[in-house]
Amino acid sequence: MKIVGPDELVFGVDSVEACAAFITDFGLKHVGEKDGSGLYEALDGTGLSIYPKDDPSLPPPLPTSNMLRKTIYGVEDQQTLDQIKDELSKDRQVQVRPDGTVEAVDDLGFALGFRITRRRKLTLLPERINSPGAAPQRGFNEIGANEDAAALPRTLSHVVYFVPDAAKMEAFYIQRLGFAVMDRFTGGGPFLRPASNTDHHTLFLIQTPEYMKGIEHFAFHMQGPTELMLAGSRMVKKGYQSFWGPGRHKFGSNWFWYFNSPMGTHAEFDADMDVFNDKWEPRVLPMRTEHSQIFLLEHREKWAPGG
Amino acid sequence: MSADKTKPLTKVLCCLSDLEDGEARGFDPFKIGRDTVFVVRRSDKVYAYRDVCPHYGSTPLPWKKNAYLTRDAQHIFCSAHGATFDIETGTCTLGPCLGQSLTSVQIAISQAGEIRLFLEPEEGPIRTPVATG
Repeated sequence: MKIVGPDELVFGVDSVEACAAFITDFGLKHVGEKDGSGLYEALDGTGLSIYPKDDPSLPPPLPTSNMLRKTIYGVEDQQTLDQIKDELSKDRQVQVRPDGTVEAVDDLGFALGFRITRRRKLTLLPERINSPGAAPQRGFNEIGANEDAAALPRTLSHVVYFVPDAAKMEAFYIQRLGFAVMDRFTGGGPFLRPASNTDHHTLFLIQTPEYMKGIEHFAFHMQGPTELMLAGSRMVKKGYQSFWGPGRHKFGSNWFWYFNSPMGTHAEFDADMDVFNDKWEPRVLPMRTEHSQIFLLEHREKWAPGG
Repeated sequence: MSADKTKPLTKVLCCLSDLEDGEARGFDPFKIGRDTVFVVRRSDKVYAYRDVCPHYGSTPLPWKKNAYLTRDAQHIFCSAHGATFDIETGTCTLGPCLGQSLTSVQIAISQAGEIRLFLEPEEGPIRTPVATG
């Protein structure tokens, strides 16, 4: 099935005002309603939607502290939407909204939407570095440490769920929606990607008790490690709470920096994730701290050597 | 931290009159560069806890400075995964550390209205790298 990846995460929150302030500073652009509700977009049009938790348009909440109310996937074409509708209609209720979005719930009750992707094709520069033994990537007199860079999230990268039955969820996403396992943490869960996305993961599942069920974090791709550091440093300067990072993960190789958020989940900047095709053989490691990162750097206030 | 490592740390955090009813505030008594203790005022009572969510045991609660409460100020809220805690008891009533509790810290309010923190030397700042996710 030609699923591209998550297009939009829909939240029902305690404080729309707090989320509006946080997400705007995170670097997403508000294209929604005046009260701060509605969509916040990354550069390619993927993003987060924020509504008050009692908004009647939202699917019912999970019985946990989770505020994620729906994950909307972008697909390539109408044929894929029809395929998903036919497949899921076999054993569950499927609704087609007036805008054509196909809606259902997965095997553990997470609400899903599917629509033709709204991702805009980006044509942007990558991070360019100068490395000994290789041709310089930046031109002469071109500065790498640009404090004025916008450092905006480019696209919604992935979402991670706490789930009480990771095996059941894995089977659903593989057998019913055509996802593939890229790597796996035993005692944790699989890293999954859909057929029309080459990223290491757009979905990661972590096995937990039932009462934890819900979103663990979401992430947006940045240009590269430098813009990730810049965006994260700006968050710290504005008084936001760093949760973990900056660092670099092992599985996926993505650089990471996680922040607490008023959506009751972590918001991650990530950069430079590995891409894969069908020839990849998944790695399997126990879910332990030493396997979660190849290094971790922690923020320190202004400092410089001197005499 | 105190130079004498055998004596409890006592430190005035603020005055009761500095806090509105229903207000929470974080403090950095160990001067490590981030808040490690927070207080919540309810009427004339003040509740004080470590700024550490029992879910991982080493990670802070707020999403920004002093953002420890739900919008209605009726519960303590951890913005890492939405854990919700009872203000009076510190017990988690919803979320990933259900049934566990925040670690309370000892405070006293002087006659002059000063909120004073007492910490044993071994109760230094908790800060270990986070591990999962």
